[in-house]
Amino acid sequence: MDKLARQLREDARRIDVTVSDDLDRRIEASLRAARPEARRQAPPPARPPLFWWASTVTGLAAALAVIGIVNWQERKEPLPVPVSIAELQPPIELKMETAKLTAPLEEELEALQSDLKKAEEKVRRDIGL
Amino acid sequence: MRNEAQLIDAARAGSADAFADLVRGYRDRLLRFLVTRCTSVADAEDALQDTLINAYRYLDSYDSRWRFSTWLYRIAIRNAGNSRGPDLVEIGDLHDEENGPLQQCIADSEVENLWVTARRHLKDDVFTAMWLRYAEDMSVNDISKALDRSTSWTKVSLMRGRRALEAQLNDAARESEAYG
Repeated sequence: MDKLARQLREDARRIDVTVSDDLDRRIEASLRAARPEARRQAPPPARPPLFWWASTVTGLAAALAVIGIVNWQERKEPLPVPVSIAELQPPIELKMETAKLTAPLEEELEALQSDLKKAEEKVRRDIGL
Repeated sequence: MRNEAQLIDAARAGSADAFADLVRGYRDRLLRFLVTRCTSVADAEDALQDTLINAYRYLDSYDSRWRFSTWLYRIAIRNAGNSRGPDLVEIGDLHDEENGPLQQCIADSEVENLWVTARRHLKDDVFTAMWLRYAEDMSVNDISKALDRSTSWTKVSLMRGRRALEAQLNDAARESEAYG
């Protein structure tokens, strides 16, 4: 406990006041004249004898109606058809891709074939065929 | 010798004697607290009487999760507030009045009582929080319940109350040094 707390506690004790005999008698007399009040509890509201049965039946009927409506609405909606991802890809794009990749090779092949043909003709001329 | 719970049960059943036994240990402490809150000792005594009567009448509403002393102080705080009308002298001014209840009860003291300083400089709720904490050793939770405030408010009020009192003490010490 710190200094301030200690001083506050000591100073509270130095406030010299006690219940006098006269006040004690007054309090005792007042207490005897008073009565503890019981906590008021609200009385349960009166219900007709078939109230709970009627409530239960109404509740069940309402629940069944809601379930029926929800299921009926679900049936009306068309089921979604699953579509494969492959079908969603544009096939032309794939072919174009292949053509782009093979075109330089084909050109190279043609160039080589042309060179080979020229070389063959040159050899034929040299040997006099 | 019956314990507090047994006395409460008996008092609830209508035994004024059981209730008198129940509150016997709290009466002086409550009166001391009420003296700091009322404008005269007579008012404090009336407030104590009202507090105990109300506690007895409405004992059925007491929740055993609370400490009984916390519940009593809550009623006492309300009664002390009711006894302070707008035309009454503010307790903070009682320091200047030689006949103030707090001054009467500590008249033989040589040094100024810190609670007089607290009464003069602190707001009602902050003063009460300080009293419950340091004079009654109540926990912060119990103080919050007694004052119907949040625990955050209580913690902040206690801190502010302490700072205000420490500042007053420092000022008084400086003045004392200045005048030799």
